[in-house]
Parts: sequence; C-alpha cells; structure tokens
Amino acid sequence: MSGRTPGDWSLTEYVGLEEIGDSPVEQKLTELKWQSTKRRLYTLLGLVGVGVVFGASLDLINFSIAELITQWPQFLEALTIGESPYFPPGELVIPFVGLSVPFVDFGAYWEFMMEENLILQIESGGSLLGLGLLPPLFYDGITIVPGAMFATLAVAVAGSVLGMPLALFFGVMSSERVVPYPFNFVFRATMSLIRAIPGLVWFLILIPLAGVTTFTAALAIMVDTTGYLGRLFTDELEEISDGPIEGIRSTGASKAQIVPFGMLSQVFRQFIAWIAFDLEHNVRAAIGLGLIGGGGLGLELYTQRQLFRYTDMMACIILIFLLAGSVELASQRVRSYLREEETESETGVLEAFVTVPQKIVSSTLGRRERP
Amino acid sequence: MSTLKVEKLTKEYGDVVALENVSFEVEDEFAVLLGESGAGKSTMLRCVNGLTEPTSGGIYLDGEPISGSRSDVGMIFQQHNLVEGVSAYLNALTGSLDRVSVLTSLLQWQSREDKLRALDALETVGLLDEAGQRVSQMSGGQQQRVGIARGLVQDPRLLLADEPVASLDPASAETVMGYLKKAATEHDVTALVSLHQVNIAAYFGERFIGLRDGEKLFDVGRDELTPDLIDELYGDVETVGLADGHGDDPASFDGERDTEQVISQ
Repeated sequence: MSGRTPGDWSLTEYVGLEEIGDSPVEQKLTELKWQSTKRRLYTLLGLVGVGVVFGASLDLINFSIAELITQWPQFLEALTIGESPYFPPGELVIPFVGLSVPFVDFGAYWEFMMEENLILQIESGGSLLGLGLLPPLFYDGITIVPGAMFATLAVAVAGSVLGMPLALFFGVMSSERVVPYPFNFVFRATMSLIRAIPGLVWFLILIPLAGVTTFTAALAIMVDTTGYLGRLFTDELEEISDGPIEGIRSTGASKAQIVPFGMLSQVFRQFIAWIAFDLEHNVRAAIGLGLIGGGGLGLELYTQRQLFRYTDMMACIILIFLLAGSVELASQRVRSYLREEETESETGVLEAFVTVPQKIVSSTLGRRERP
Repeated sequence: MSTLKVEKLTKEYGDVVALENVSFEVEDEFAVLLGESGAGKSTMLRCVNGLTEPTSGGIYLDGEPISGSRSDVGMIFQQHNLVEGVSAYLNALTGSLDRVSVLTSLLQWQSREDKLRALDALETVGLLDEAGQRVSQMSGGQQQRVGIARGLVQDPRLLLADEPVASLDPASAETVMGYLKKAATEHDVTALVSLHQVNIAAYFGERFIGLRDGEKLFDVGRDELTPDLIDELYGDVETVGLADGHGDDPASFDGERDTEQVISQ
C-alpha cells in the first residue's frame, strides 16, 4: 500500500481531473487535488504578472548593472577621494604622543561653513547687528551677519510666533466649553482643513504671495502652526476640570473672565509645553521647506547638491543634525520641566540626533505624532 | 452683618426632588446645615450661590431677592476649586474679579487696595508667608484656607461653605474650621456651612438647620441641639457613640472634649 511504482502515476490523477474511485473519501481526495491545482495556476499567473511589471519598471528607470560597475570607482571617489568628497580624508593628531591617525578632515567642512556663512560671521567695522545701536566710541564696532542656520531658525521662530495668537484664538473658540456646540465647529473645521494640507504644500500655495523666499516659508509655518497648535490647545481644553471654573464663577466673575482664569489657567503650563513642541517641529519643517526654496540650511544643501560638491553637502547635513537635534533636546527639557507631575519619556541625546532625518521629513509633510 | 432668607425653596432634578419647600432665616450667625449625604445640603448652598437654578422659591439677602453668582456671596467648596497652577496670592486675588474689567484682571492691574485685601485675607487664614507658593504644592488644609481667603477678598455679605472639611484629616479639619469661623467673625459676615461631622458642627455652629431627604427637619439654636434631634436626622446607627457619650467619630477633633459634652453646653 505504501509507496508507489512509476507506472501508477498519471498526470490527470495528480491534478485532480481523473476520478480514482466512487467512495466519498476518494472523491474528496480528487476534489482537494483539483483545488490545489487551481491555486498553483493562480500563483504562477501572479508571478508572471509581477515579473512583467518589474521588467518594465527596470526598463523605465534605465536600470543597468554595467552602469553600476563603471560608476563604482566614481562613487568611491565621491565618498573619500576626489575633488569634493563626502568624507574628505585628513589626520587626527593625538596630542603629546606625536602620532596621527587617518581620519575625516573636519577642517574642510568648517572651511565651507565659514566661506558660505552657514552659521554666522562677525565682521569688524559697523555697529553691532548693523543696527547702529551702539556707536563705536571705544571700539571699531562689529557687524554680526547671521548665516543660513539662523535663517532657518528665524523662519521657524517667526512662523511660530505669528501663528501662536491664531492658534490660541482658534483653539479656544473650538472648545465646546467656550463656544456652544454648532458654532465651535466652524473653527474646528477651519483647523482641520489647514491640517489636511501639509506645510510643504502650504509653501507652494503661498509662493504667489511672497515668492520662493524665507518669508513664504515663515508664512507657511504660521498657517501650519494655527492648525496644529490650535488643535493641541483644543484637546488640552477638553480635559480641564469643572472645579476651578465653578470656583471662579462663584466669585461673580464675568464670562470673559471665567475663560482666562477658570479655564486657560488650568492648561497654561501644558500650553507652554505644546508651544515648545511646536517650535521644535517648526525648526524641522523650516529645514524641509528650505529644500524646495525656503532658504536657510535646506536651500544651501539643495544648491550644493546641484553643484555635486559632496563635502559642502555634508557640511550642511552636519549643521542640520546639530540644529534639529539640539532644538529637540532643548524643547524636551522644557517640556519635562513643565510636566513635572506627568510622566514624560525623555529622549536620549543620541536618539535625538539619530532620529533627525526621519523627523524632518514627517514635520515637513505635516505628519506629527503627539509626543 | 446681613440676613439670609430662604423661602419655600424647591429644587427638582427631573423626577428627583433634591429640596422640597425649605424655608429658614439666618441673621448674623455662623449657621450649619446638617444632614446625611444626599440630604440636599449642597443643592441648598449651590442655589443660594447661584451655581444652580432653583425650581421654585425665593432667596433674599437683606430683603432683596438674589440670583446668579455674585461677589457679595462668597463660596468655599469641598474640593477647593482653586486655580492650582498659580500662587495662593493670585488665587485670593481672583476674589476681586467682579470689581474690575477683563483687561485689568488679565494684566493684574487691580488697585493696591484689592491687592492688599488679598494679602490681608491670606493673613487672616494664617498663610501670609505662603502667599507666593503655588497652590498645587500646598496641603489640602492650606488649599482650603486659600479658598476661604478668596471668599473674603470678594468682600461678601454672606459666606457659604459646602463641606469645607470633608476631605481633610481631623486635625486639619479643626484648623480650617477655626479659620473659617475666625474669618466670618472678624469680617462680620453671616455664614452658612454644610457639614456632616456632628461634633465639629456642634463645636463651631451657632445655629443648626437639619435637612433630611430634601426637607427641613429642624432649625434650632445652640442650646436646643439635642442628641435626640441628631438621632432623628441620621437614624440610629451613626449616633450610637453620641448617645452613649463615647463618640468614636473619626473626625473627633478633641480627645478631651466629648461630643455629648459639647452639645450639652
């Protein structure tokens, strides 16, 4: 009974097309065989389909192994050797010992940062900040020229501060405790609409208003802040307790006084924490907006990419990591200080810097998780 | 000093009658509302304060009908109802909100008088040194004293307190009640305080209004509050100790002063 001889085997029986007997068990076996045959056929069909689409895609993107092979030396060149590589080779001198080990030449990055004024420059002559605030009586005077990093920071700060009063207004007016039910939805819907459009798209929409400039980037961030910060404010207001509201009401305070003293006072610290979070998010968004023309570090990175100057690109990337990472750390510290009673998970220093790229992308596209 | 007159006050929540035809008058006294939980004490105070709208009946302060929350009626809540994130001083200062405009209050541009009044009130409740401390960092008893201070800053004619010491330990309860009594006496304010600890009520009260199931059971002076009345108000179970003269109420604030002795005084 066990095992089979070659003569037994028949294709039609194997695929389940030929009946092997009349008993229910035998018929079931045939049926199951046919089912699995059909499944195999579909799988085969699917594989062929994927293969066709894959092949067409490779063709469309001009995929070529030969190109990879010919370009490989150039890639290596871009990494460490060549005219402007990502990691320019240099030496790290160990003090006192006199030995030196090969290492990345940070001087090359620094040179570019200074040359293109990525951080800031201090020029002699003129007066402080060039504002004529301090007449150069006892000294020649200096002029501080803020660089690309501060341009990015300025976009974020300006956008956040401009958006903050709007966020407060929309946030408070969206709360059912302040504005009765159907009417608060006007404000709620406005904020939802704003949030539905990512910051990146707001920048594109606003280009006709102020050009492809840092100004437009700040305006985009202002709009974005109104939608997001306002929503966070509304959420926070939903959780306030009735006690203090009644307490203030019992003193005979007017409705206009009950809102700030009974309601907003309960969430003041949380609001400040959210503002810190929003500022952090906006710095990342400002970097992202720079890549499509919003100025600052992002624009500088984009420009150097077009010039294929990899050392200079890496210099920009280093500063982006430093800026976004340290702003996040600062904002985190402020938040955990403000939320003393709540458990706020603190981001580690390493984590703050490692997660920068992913967070820049999500901030620019308007997807932000609640921390 | 002033007179609070409650006339045929009824409050219904749907089918539930919280207060039924309750009338009483309190004049220049430290009056205590007694009764079990759910007897209607809170509802009564909330109606007088205007936080709840009565179904029918009238409330008169010095002869004139009052409704809605107003600054000349101060309210102290069981759960303090303070703004926890700010200082005791700023909380006391909110008692002056009715006297100033929105902008003035937001910028803290209240007159020096109002600001000194807030600190005076904190001094009355023994918290002048803690005036700058954030309320959330204070103990329950201290918070309640800030609540009393806020009420005083309103410069009220009537001070209401809804179970002001129900969530406090016996020692703090005694302190807070002491300050409340002192505040009412020093500022010549009529007070109406709801309590469920009979011994505390008997010690501090000058007049006792008993509520049961929303109806007034008694309205007596200090001398007329007998253990029998208390028995009737609470049923037998809770006052066994009281009748025996061996009060073992956890809120017993003074070991040597037995509740029965207090009442018989």
